[in-house]
Amino acid sequence: MTAALKTVQLTKDYGDRPALEPLDLEVGEGQHVALVGHNGSGKTTLLRMAAGLLDASDGDVWIMGHKSGTIEARRSLSWLSDTPTFYDDLSLWEHLEYVGRLHGVAQWHTKAEELLERLQLSNRRDDIPTTFSRGLRQKAAIALGMVRPFDVLLVDEPFVGLDSNGKTTLLELLDESAAVGATLLVATHELAFVGRVGRLLALRDGAIVYDGPPADADVHSLVLPS
Amino acid sequence: MTDAAVSGAPADTAPKATGLGALRDLRRTRQLHRLGNLDWFDAAYRVYLFGGFGGGAILWISSSVKDAPLDDNVAADVLSRGPAVLGLVVALAFMAGIRGGAQGGPIALEAADVAHVMLAPVDRLRALLRPAYQRLRSALFAGAMAGAIVGQLAGRRLPGDLFPWFCAGALYGANAAGLWVAAALLAHTLRLPRWLATLVGLAGVGWQAAAVAWSVPGPFNLDGSLALWGWRVHTVDLLAVGCTVLLLVAGLALLRRISLDALARRSALVAQLRFAVTMQDLRTVILLRRQLNQEVPRQRPHVRLRRHAGPLGLTASIWRRGWHGLLRFPLPRFVRMASLAAAMGVLQAMVVRGTTPAFLGTAILGFVLGLEAMEPLSQEVDQADRADALPVERGEIMARHLLAPAVLLVPFGFIAAFAAWFTLGARSDALAPALILGVPTLIGAACGGVVSIVKDMPDPTSGATQQAFMPPEMVGFSTAIRIVWPIVVSALTTCTVLLVRSADRLGGSTVSAAIRGSIGIMLVALLVYQWVRVRDRMRRKIRAFMDEGRSYQSQQRSSA
Repeated sequence: MTAALKTVQLTKDYGDRPALEPLDLEVGEGQHVALVGHNGSGKTTLLRMAAGLLDASDGDVWIMGHKSGTIEARRSLSWLSDTPTFYDDLSLWEHLEYVGRLHGVAQWHTKAEELLERLQLSNRRDDIPTTFSRGLRQKAAIALGMVRPFDVLLVDEPFVGLDSNGKTTLLELLDESAAVGATLLVATHELAFVGRVGRLLALRDGAIVYDGPPADADVHSLVLPS
Repeated sequence: MTDAAVSGAPADTAPKATGLGALRDLRRTRQLHRLGNLDWFDAAYRVYLFGGFGGGAILWISSSVKDAPLDDNVAADVLSRGPAVLGLVVALAFMAGIRGGAQGGPIALEAADVAHVMLAPVDRLRALLRPAYQRLRSALFAGAMAGAIVGQLAGRRLPGDLFPWFCAGALYGANAAGLWVAAALLAHTLRLPRWLATLVGLAGVGWQAAAVAWSVPGPFNLDGSLALWGWRVHTVDLLAVGCTVLLLVAGLALLRRISLDALARRSALVAQLRFAVTMQDLRTVILLRRQLNQEVPRQRPHVRLRRHAGPLGLTASIWRRGWHGLLRFPLPRFVRMASLAAAMGVLQAMVVRGTTPAFLGTAILGFVLGLEAMEPLSQEVDQADRADALPVERGEIMARHLLAPAVLLVPFGFIAAFAAWFTLGARSDALAPALILGVPTLIGAACGGVVSIVKDMPDPTSGATQQAFMPPEMVGFSTAIRIVWPIVVSALTTCTVLLVRSADRLGGSTVSAAIRGSIGIMLVALLVYQWVRVRDRMRRKIRAFMDEGRSYQSQQRSSA
């Protein structure tokens, strides 16, 4: 079976400061993985390299058997950043339209309507998302990440700024994606979320210090810096 | 596209193009939105300002070049050595391009384009062609404009009609700009390491410099020769244009290999840069250019200052703080400052040789050098709250920040002096005036940078109403003054070289002329120092006077 996400000796350093030690990792199709670690442990670096947004110092990332950044990898991968970016001259609805269409979804509006409804953004669809509050921007980013089809969903700090309804909706959406076979890799500081996943990865100073079922792990000690 | 689609109304649910078709629609929609939001009056006013001041400056400079045509010997020298010298400028453009490309240039996308378009399953080559063409177009236009202006200036002293000189200058400038873009695209898409890019660039510049010095064939001689088409036409020079086009095509063909990492890093900075350009904030433009080039202060200073036991006075503390910052300048910054100083020397020598407007070029370079050197002052201005929290008059702090950078500029003054001396043919009688004027001219010209930095300082005593009641006509005028005034201060000091030229032509003592000029420059520098010291106090006094006047008027009205 092809790994949904595979890294081979993936390394990143910023000058003389290593951000990620050589990392060999395989995440199988349909796996639901939480990525934890202290600030600066390398979570975002790993995810950004997997999304193709950050050049690796060495090594490779493969998404559904395709090298990261290739057109096939981009088709399979959806990336939800912790700092969502939007056009400052397009409404949320237009964002959904173009993101959907860029990913080959001709009937994007059905999914867009549903997402806006569930994220309680229907009344803001004609507003410009750059003017939204932190929480609303996060919700808008979730809608954009999910309006298109994907096999692998990479999420960085998804709960930041969300109200309790938003958190519940996001958890439901993640569960639904997992239920239809999508692979999820979620970097988070919300340790309560860890109990919902099948696999826990913990990073410390750029190296994996735990990889296994969350039930066997002392999560609180894993997120402490060395 | 229907109106409903443009407004984003959910009623429009008919299937539309996906993939690249969607990208075309996205760009068209954004263009429509931008056009809809454009303030046409404001845009027209900017064009009017730019045309008025820019055009006026060019006309003034052009009309000031009234010197007699060059004699036959000098003209023959220009014809034989001109292609190599002008090729050196193209070599520098090539080096700038290749280094810029290795640092992630020349294309910049909006952050949202990186997140939504570059991560979508569309062909990146086709998605990036448009931004690449836009970059190329703007570079070609700027290069052609600059070349055309210099070309028509050259045509006033060299044989040939003005129009062919204008066209040849435009062709030369456009070719240099095209080569800059091509080199940047290739360096980026081939993922050239920075050290290798610098090495290749230096090799090109070094070879071309050798062509200038020893008349060996240089790699950019044909590019330089294009500029002389206003005088004579060598069709073989078109090979240079062909080379540029080939490199451009190769760079564009490799666009798929562009690094998203670099695009993402540059996108935010470029947005800030555009805003700073819109606000005519030259200091921020230079700061952001440094960030774009990933130029950061050194973790460890070049030289560690000895620890100081015991308390320091105000002057000593600021002096020490200044050196802590200056000694952390990365090496490329010192090299850039040295290049600016050398270029200033060359331009001043050109003034002595007869090209009067070159002193304005010196002023602009000195202004930029001032912005580079006055980093401690810039930092203090950017962190104004810290200075405001101290129990010392802010002006006293700011003025003391000028001392360390002024001392730093001294060796650069000698670089400028020697560059001027060499340009004047290393004549023995030129050395003393060059050395006398070098350091003061450099420090004086840097005062323009000081004025620009200090004028950016937030004014805690100013009220928002003061700006609000400024009539629109005055806003444009004050903006123009804000840009021009620092350059005028720099030009006041660099024009002292005219005293030396005048003495040289009239058979007077160039040394005493240089001494007189230096004294004048130092007076201007002292005035600027004093202005920095007392600026806040003066403004407070003026404001208090105005407030008094207003309260007196209102009392008069109420009693009437």
